[in-house]
Amino acid sequence: MGIFIESIISGILIGMSYAVLAAGLALIFGVMKIINFAHAEFAVLAMYFPTYWFLNWWGIDPFISAFIALPLFFFLGYLTQRLLIERIIGTPEAETSTLIITLGFSLLISNLILIGWSGAPRIINQPYTMATWSIGNILINRAQTYSLFISLGLIGGLFLLLNKTLIGKAIKAAADDPEGCAYMGINLHFVYALAFGLGIAITGAGGCLMATYRPFNPFFGETIVIILFASVILGGMTSIMGALLGGLIIGLVQQLSVFVVPIALQNVAVFTILVLFLYVRPQGILGKKGRAV
Amino acid sequence: MKTEGKQQVSVKWNSYLPIFVVCIMGVLISYLIGPARYTQRILLLIVLWAVASSSFNVISGYAGQVVFGYMMFVGTGAYTTVLLFKFLAVSPWLGMWAGVVVAILTALVIGLPTLRLHGAFFAIATIAFPLITFPILNHLGLEELSIPFTGHGASSMQFRDMRFYVLIAIALLAVVLITVRTIESSRFGFALRALKQNETAAEGMGINTYSNKLMAFMISAGLGALMGTVYSFGLLYILTTNAVFGLFIMVRILSITIVGGMATVWGPLIAACILVPIGEFLNAQFGDRYPGVQDVIYGVALIAAILYMPEGIWGMIRRSFRRLPSKLTVSMKLAAGEDSEQGIVDGARDYDLFKVKPIQGVTMGNDINDPILKIEGIDKYFGGVCALGNVSIEVPRGKVTGIIGPNGSGKTTLFNVINGFLPPEKGRILFEGRNIASLKPHVASRLGIGRTFQIPQVFSNMTVLENVMIGAFNRWGNVDKAYAEADKIAQQMGLSGRAYDQAVGLTMWETKILEFSRALATQPKLLLVDEPMAGLNPEESNRIGEIIRVIIKSGITVIVIEHVVQSLVKIADWMVGLDHGRKVAEGTPQQVISDPHIIEAYLGAKWRERHATS
Repeated sequence: MGIFIESIISGILIGMSYAVLAAGLALIFGVMKIINFAHAEFAVLAMYFPTYWFLNWWGIDPFISAFIALPLFFFLGYLTQRLLIERIIGTPEAETSTLIITLGFSLLISNLILIGWSGAPRIINQPYTMATWSIGNILINRAQTYSLFISLGLIGGLFLLLNKTLIGKAIKAAADDPEGCAYMGINLHFVYALAFGLGIAITGAGGCLMATYRPFNPFFGETIVIILFASVILGGMTSIMGALLGGLIIGLVQQLSVFVVPIALQNVAVFTILVLFLYVRPQGILGKKGRAV
Repeated sequence: MKTEGKQQVSVKWNSYLPIFVVCIMGVLISYLIGPARYTQRILLLIVLWAVASSSFNVISGYAGQVVFGYMMFVGTGAYTTVLLFKFLAVSPWLGMWAGVVVAILTALVIGLPTLRLHGAFFAIATIAFPLITFPILNHLGLEELSIPFTGHGASSMQFRDMRFYVLIAIALLAVVLITVRTIESSRFGFALRALKQNETAAEGMGINTYSNKLMAFMISAGLGALMGTVYSFGLLYILTTNAVFGLFIMVRILSITIVGGMATVWGPLIAACILVPIGEFLNAQFGDRYPGVQDVIYGVALIAAILYMPEGIWGMIRRSFRRLPSKLTVSMKLAAGEDSEQGIVDGARDYDLFKVKPIQGVTMGNDINDPILKIEGIDKYFGGVCALGNVSIEVPRGKVTGIIGPNGSGKTTLFNVINGFLPPEKGRILFEGRNIASLKPHVASRLGIGRTFQIPQVFSNMTVLENVMIGAFNRWGNVDKAYAEADKIAQQMGLSGRAYDQAVGLTMWETKILEFSRALATQPKLLLVDEPMAGLNPEESNRIGEIIRVIIKSGITVIVIEHVVQSLVKIADWMVGLDHGRKVAEGTPQQVISDPHIIEAYLGAKWRERHATS
């Protein structure tokens, strides 16, 4: 029983770390209707810079780096949108073109990291990385727990930003009816770039948090990108709350699948769920088609 | 190429000539270079990546369904052959075909459900399969398979001289290129191009989009499996899951296809000749210091190609060649003074010549007085909204039936239900006595129900003639026949001056005429015409009316939806009024427009409004 509860708790902890990244992906898809294949690579980049290097150079704690990453990655996302994606958005093949161009971009990021900082697996060594709390015989990792709360804060912040500010309203409006927005004097490309920036910002922060307890290498993104897609598809693609839910479900499936299948096949369970969902309910759990953000 | 041969569009042996020439040149080059392993290895890589990319091109370029999980088939081919060879001692020459069969079955399993998804969802769904297979194979202990050296040499596809592998790969390339070339100029290829551009219109023209996509997927998978076999025997001594199921396979194939040109025969080969040597050279020079340099090149190539060269290298070459002849045909026609003065608009006068023979056969047994279409108690709901409620209409044979009604009264929904874009919740639709409710649009089209769309749905990246050919394929499997038929109809409808222009550049009038031509090319017995006069000036509207009358004379029954009641009254023999999804009036045009319901719902509402505001 103890091991079961522990699996559920670790499922929630892992799931939450996916949820943050998936929230960024869902925001981008919800607003611009494009799939960012390089999404996980942005998180991996954040694991190296600022997290790993700031800690090594100046001893900055990864949890502080997570907040430094927010503006940095917002800017990075903003630029990516402006320089790469803006040119192809709105063309008939935009959906596949963006998928392909972001695949190219993900290759660039991971291989440049490989060239610049070598392929050796890295790990953050902080007092909390391996530390645990124990409740009875249930062990809970401290870094993961801190990350969970910061993640919740980030998602909550994003939610407030989208629902309570004028910029958020513009983003939501652009998601709903881009043409109408353009007529109302909203600069669509600017709004798209903001949305992309926000999505990447929260992803960068999520990457920093993930780095506090998971070893990583330049190609770590390949292993989680489909997990992120699975979370977002489960959650109905466009909704941030859906992505949160999807991420949690994926985390739980991953952790609980060890009771059914060998641990090596953890991800097979996840992808099977993804495929099943695409067949049976492509609109996701929340399932309101075309729902914005 | 298509512009040159006026009578001949299907492939003849001489259109394969360039393929043979290129392949023989490849063999010669390989032979002359000598047995140097390194250069032969690069040559082999070029040919194999060209093979894989060309195979990928069938489903992703021609059919436009980008398969992100294409490595599934390369891996399936490689693993099937090697497993058979290693454990059952089956010769790879036989095993490779087993690999093809397994890959095709895999494609069937993957394609059946996923091909219903669209665009990026399809791409993501397909990538899940190799990701599922990968860990399963690893778990089964098949992560690394050394290919046993049997010493049988040729019979087990094991050669010391790399040139033999190059020879095999080039033979494979020839097979793949011939397949792609054949598909390109066949009815199947036209169907793929059509559904890539506009699935709705393709279905409306009698193309079974789903089965065509599935077919392309299976062909693509089978060819990819062949590449997998040669790849593992020629280049790998130890087959690993990562080497054939890894994402890098996808990246190479995608880069080469896109840089070379999606949906082109020669693009992938050209791009492979450029990208593979660059990648290998950089890898050899800097690979030890900068291990990811090769993938950086592929990443940059992908981004640059999408941004600056979306048609790819061959696409650009082809376009610069195509422009000339297409201009020539038009200007030559003008010089000949055939329809130079009247131009395109007046060309429509030619419809006097118009003689489309209705398809006989099924019609024969039916009494001429029987209605061609009987709609019985159709219900259609969108969510809780009733779009059509208990609608029953009988459409008289050989007449123009007009359907009027205010916006949102369910007119277009009715059309969508008749030709199968929407299944009705209740009721029957009897077309020539056969219930066609809930049949797919392409079936309706095959049975003889043609359709034009309110918002024209032409295949914008095809020429006018090719658009009409898509319609003609509904009756003719033969490309030359379809071409001749399309040419005839284009002439009759006055579109011949524009025959070789892309449909995207047509005027509104020409687009409407193209829609008519294409629908007529399907040889319908019943033609559904959705708001043909929207967006046209009164003069053009009148002409549309005349065209519809001519169509009737050729024995085709027509149902017209129209907003402009005035124009409809002039051409319709019978009229039906809809309001809020219910039939409120039926009768001769005069009866219907004087019906109080219609005046209330349609004319009266407007009239009253005008008086209320002033």
